[in-house]
Amino acid sequence: MTRAVLELRAVAKSFAATAALKDMSLAIEPGEIHAIVGENGAGKSTLIKIMTGVHRPDAGEILVEGRAVTLRSTQDAQAEGIAAIYQEPMVFPDLNVAENIFISNRAGGAWLDWRAMFAEADRIVAQLGVSLDVRRAASGLTLAEQQTVEIARALSLKVKVLIMDEPTASLSAHEVERLLSIARALKAQGVAVIYISHRLDEIFRIADRVTVIRDGQHISTRPIAEVTEEGMVREMVGRAIDSFAVKTAANAVGEVALSVRGLGRAGVFRGVGFDLAKGEVLCLAGLVGARRTDVGLALFGIAPATEGSLHLHGSDVTITTPRQAMDLGIAYVSEDRRKLGLAMTLPIFSNISLASLRRFLRTLGLIDRKAEGIMAESYRKALDIRAPDCRIEVGKLSGGNQQKVMLAKWLETKPQVLIFDEPTRGIDVGAKAEVHAIIRRLAAEGVAVIVISSDLPEVLALADRVLVMREGRQVGLLDISEASQERVIALAAGTGAGVAA
Amino acid sequence: MIGWLRSWEGGLLVVFLATLALNVSFAPEFLTVQNQINLFQLSVEKIIVALVMTLIIINAEIDLSVASVMGLAAVVFAYLLNQGWGGGSAALACLLVGLVAGLFNAVLVAKVGIPSLVVTLAMMIGYRGFSRVIVQDTSLGNFPDWVTDLGQKGLIGPLPLSLVLFFVLLVALGVLLHRTGFGRQVVVIGTNADVARFSGVDVGRVKATLFVMSALISAVAGVLYAARLGSVRGDSALGFELDIITMVLLGGVSIFGGKGSMVGVFLAILIILNLRNGMALMNITGHVQTGVIGSLLILSVLLPNLVGDLRTRRARA
Repeated sequence: MTRAVLELRAVAKSFAATAALKDMSLAIEPGEIHAIVGENGAGKSTLIKIMTGVHRPDAGEILVEGRAVTLRSTQDAQAEGIAAIYQEPMVFPDLNVAENIFISNRAGGAWLDWRAMFAEADRIVAQLGVSLDVRRAASGLTLAEQQTVEIARALSLKVKVLIMDEPTASLSAHEVERLLSIARALKAQGVAVIYISHRLDEIFRIADRVTVIRDGQHISTRPIAEVTEEGMVREMVGRAIDSFAVKTAANAVGEVALSVRGLGRAGVFRGVGFDLAKGEVLCLAGLVGARRTDVGLALFGIAPATEGSLHLHGSDVTITTPRQAMDLGIAYVSEDRRKLGLAMTLPIFSNISLASLRRFLRTLGLIDRKAEGIMAESYRKALDIRAPDCRIEVGKLSGGNQQKVMLAKWLETKPQVLIFDEPTRGIDVGAKAEVHAIIRRLAAEGVAVIVISSDLPEVLALADRVLVMREGRQVGLLDISEASQERVIALAAGTGAGVAA
Repeated sequence: MIGWLRSWEGGLLVVFLATLALNVSFAPEFLTVQNQINLFQLSVEKIIVALVMTLIIINAEIDLSVASVMGLAAVVFAYLLNQGWGGGSAALACLLVGLVAGLFNAVLVAKVGIPSLVVTLAMMIGYRGFSRVIVQDTSLGNFPDWVTDLGQKGLIGPLPLSLVLFFVLLVALGVLLHRTGFGRQVVVIGTNADVARFSGVDVGRVKATLFVMSALISAVAGVLYAARLGSVRGDSALGFELDIITMVLLGGVSIFGGKGSMVGVFLAILIILNLRNGMALMNITGHVQTGVIGSLLILSVLLPNLVGDLRTRRARA
């Protein structure tokens, strides 16, 4: 066995009274792709923060190539060759790609040798096996390209261990492929990659070894060949779970709730049309950039449609503000919890009541805080939001629990048409199964549901019908019986096979 | 209870009690009802406007034009009285001035979308200009006796009209901020305006309402200012906006919005007024007083950062 490039021995870390990590031991070998999986709240974030010097352990040791080290800051960690990239990359939009790559290399005096810098940047990018113009400004880069820049930045710092935290959470299918091949390229150069993802299929494709953690403890580390998906999930949640149970029967579909004809927004998307029945789940599939979210935003009145018609419960409507949409019984659960979904510094209860605040107003606009509290409490119990009470700041909850708070907020508006945008992005398998169960239950109760999702297994598990979009156009509307992963991908990517319209 | 004492408001309460104790030990006559009313009355117009400024800053906006609106209202009031208008109709005209000024700010901030810092800075300069044009280099006085009486004498017991209005507004705006749907929307917008918009909150309308409210209350404060002093000039209430913002920030309201309480601002007002008065009783000059208040504000910004820093260090170590 080769000597570990990074090793944790019996590391423990507590915050106030809660133990985030207990007796965590882990050895990362050079040139391996080591996946770490666990539910949200299992301690993955704390683990990353300890490895990158953001937090210091209460007990235990960190060893780099056999030497005990103390990491006081991310700079210390970088000096030891440990760096991390996150799902939201940090690039400086006004600088060019090469400048972004070398942003933390302070050597070289006051004068920049541009020619040498571009050459070096080209060399690093080429090592990753991607093509990227290092002279262009970073401002127009896609998320995937920004990640490439971050990885190149880490490489420029002679990284030995690169931690990738949910790197594919916001990427489209072919961008995921590119990222996986970058990870393999890093491995080929002897860099150890710690790969953290909720997407188990990716882990099976690239990881050499998998470590499962749960409740801050190390559960197992095994070579990938000895791991099954079922066994891994069982270890993660500590119980058996059927997260991807194939839908047994189509939802009982009722009368048409929402009828959309030729919907479009100038310069963004056009030609979207469908009938959505009560109790039906319609999934919007497509690659990133297919403008699926824009359809949701148009239906919710954030970026109103400029053409086409909408019938809701049989009457013509136009929607130009979210308020109008909400008054018509439409709710939109955003994909971006942090920026658009939740007020992170406010407590759970005021986040849940926010969209339906009117219902809790009494004389003079006073809030009936008792009724509000009871309502919030009932959602905390019904959706199993893991928090001691509803006065806790939402920002202190894990991703899955935040997602449930956001769901509660929209359920409380008693919607008839509910639009979910990437409802399970970045949340763990346990919470994902719960969110899927909630969506199915809502449909069974007669709510018309639209799910925008880039996760094809999710689309196929939830949908009654699948609407496929490509570059702002509707390219297919498939019944679930005729939808397969291959067919949807073919339509979404525009490669042959797509005949339906 | 313990949690509250460790909060910002708790800290302010301790500072306030310390200030009181210090003042009483230097000047035993300090804690009389009349002295407390006097020290309130000396700044009553500022503290009235500080109440509405609290809502604006929690909303993550700023209104720099308040003092200029106060000045303009005071000047218009004095001018109309001198033109032979009745006190009531002159005051009403000033409210109209406030309304127009407020609508102007509201439209530019909420509809057009220019940052409030820029809009209200421009208006601060503009309204001040109007005031100077109206009075030129002179001062306007000679108000009817009943106007100055209303400005100076007790309305309810020893409490003058302006102080009564302050306490009414303190409670009303406190309830508005902390207990109503509107107040909740103000806080949410201050925390994250996009989240508010995606939750169906009419962000523009809330902001517009606040700016109209701010200018209206500033106009009322301006009229009260004129009535209390008995004469006004083009530079009346000059620079008050900074004292007002100081009170709000010392009260623990975050300049980034989303956080703050009316109780905190009230305590900060008590501290500033008592500190100034105490220093005056000790014959400390006005400039030094201002310096002390300034240091207090810097400390109040530094302290939470230092405490937070210490806590993270302790958590890490």
